[in-house]
Amino acid sequence: MMRTRRNPIYKRILSEIEREVQFHPRYADLQNQFALLWMVGGEMEKAENHFLEALRLNPKYREAILNLGFLYIEMRRWKEAEEIFLSEVKRHPRDGSLHHVLGILYLQAGREKEAAARIHKSIRYHSYYRDYYKKRRVWQRGGVHLHQKAERTLKKTHLNHHYAHFHNFIGLYLAKKGKSAQAVKELRKAARLKPDEFIFHANLGTVYAYQGAYPKAIHEYQKALEIDPFYGLGYANLSYIYGLMRRTHEALRYMKKAVQMNPRYADLHYNLALLYSDRKRYEEAAFELKKALRINPNYLFARINLGVLYEDQKRWKEARREYRKILQVTPDDEHIRKRLERIS
Amino acid sequence: MLKEDFVIQSNIRRMLIRSSIDYSRMDFGTVKGVVYIRGFFQISRLYTDGDEKEEKEFTVKTLYSFEKKIRSLPGVTDVIFQFLNWRKEKGQWVPIEGKKKEEEKDDDENKTESNL
Repeated sequence: MMRTRRNPIYKRILSEIEREVQFHPRYADLQNQFALLWMVGGEMEKAENHFLEALRLNPKYREAILNLGFLYIEMRRWKEAEEIFLSEVKRHPRDGSLHHVLGILYLQAGREKEAAARIHKSIRYHSYYRDYYKKRRVWQRGGVHLHQKAERTLKKTHLNHHYAHFHNFIGLYLAKKGKSAQAVKELRKAARLKPDEFIFHANLGTVYAYQGAYPKAIHEYQKALEIDPFYGLGYANLSYIYGLMRRTHEALRYMKKAVQMNPRYADLHYNLALLYSDRKRYEEAAFELKKALRINPNYLFARINLGVLYEDQKRWKEARREYRKILQVTPDDEHIRKRLERIS
Repeated sequence: MLKEDFVIQSNIRRMLIRSSIDYSRMDFGTVKGVVYIRGFFQISRLYTDGDEKEEKEFTVKTLYSFEKKIRSLPGVTDVIFQFLNWRKEKGQWVPIEGKKKEEEKDDDENKTESNL
C-alpha cells in the first residue's frame, strides 16, 4: 500500500479525483472511485466514508456495495461484510463469485464449515471456481478439503478485488488520455488478479480495438462473454470488430446475438439492418429498420435507409412516404429532397 | 467499389473513439456509401485555457480532419453533415451559434443607428 501511495500516477489521479469530487460531490461514481483510491492507498476510514456517501447518493449502486463489503473484510469487520454479501446472495443466488467471497470471509473469520459450504456452492454455480479450487487442491474427489497451505493463500485473495479494480480504474483513466499501451498494461494486471471479472476483459478488448489489435480484442471480448454470456453489448462490440476486419459473416452472427440480448436497442437493430442490406437480404433489413423505428420513431437514419431500401426494390410509394416523413423533420435535407423529386 | 455500409459504420465508430471529438451528442448513419452525421459537434479534450479564438480554430481543424478521414474510407461516396452548431458554407466551416450572434449583433447595431 505504501508503494501504491508513492506511485506518481496514483498521486496524480487521486488529486484529480479529489478536485472532481469537490466540484461534483453528488456524483455517486466519483465518490466510489475516490473511495477505491483511498482503499488501495491504505486509508480505510476515508475509503469507508466515501463508499457510504456513494451509497447514500445511490443506494442501489452495486459496485460500491461490493467494494464496501471487501473493505470490511480487509478491516476484519466480519459481521458488516457478511451482511452485505448475504444480502447480495439473496438477490443473485446463483452468482458463484458471491459464494466464493463468502467462503473467503468465513475462512478468515475461522468458520470453516460455513466456508466449505460456500466454496462448494461457488463451484456448483460457476465452472471457473471448479478449476480455481482444483488448482489449489481444495476441490478433490468431489469435495472441499481445506488444508493449511490453501487457507493461507485463500485468506489473502480478497485483496485481489481491491487491486484488480484499482488497476482497472487506472487503465481506463490512461485509455481516456489516449495512452493505450500503458492502459493495456494496467488492464492486464486487473484481469490477472481477478480473471473471473468480465468487465476487465471487455475493457481490454475495447483498448485493443482502439489500438487496431483486432485478434487480441476479439480474444478478450470472447473471454468476457465466456464469463458473462448475458453481456449483450459484448456481442455488439465483437460484431463491430469483425466489421473493421471486413469479416461481415461473423459480424452478422454476433449482431444477431446482440439484438437477441438487447431487443430494445434501436441502434443494434439498425446495425443488423445494415448487415442484411449489405448482403442484399432486403426483407430482413426492412424488418429490422421497422423495429428500430418502432422503438425510436425519430430515428432518422433508420428511416433514410428504409426509404432507400424501398427505392431499390422499386416500391416507389413506400419510398416516397418515408422521404416525406424525413423532410418533415429535416426540411433542409437536399439529399433526400433530390431523391424524392427523382421518384415523384 | 464495395459499398458495405456496416463496414463504413464500424470504421466511423472507431474513428470517433480514437478522436478528441465528444460524440455523446452525435448520431451517424450510412446509406449506400453516403454517410450522414447529425447532432452537436463538440471537442471533448480542449487545452486552451478558455481562449475562445483558439478553441474555435482547434474545432475547425478537427472538423476538416474528421471530414477528410471519413471521405477517405473505402466505399464512402459522400458525407452529409447536419450539425446543429456547425455548418459548411462555400467550403468553410462556420459556427451556427456564432453566426446567429453576429447577425443579432448586426441587427442591434442597425437598430441603434436607425434609432439615432
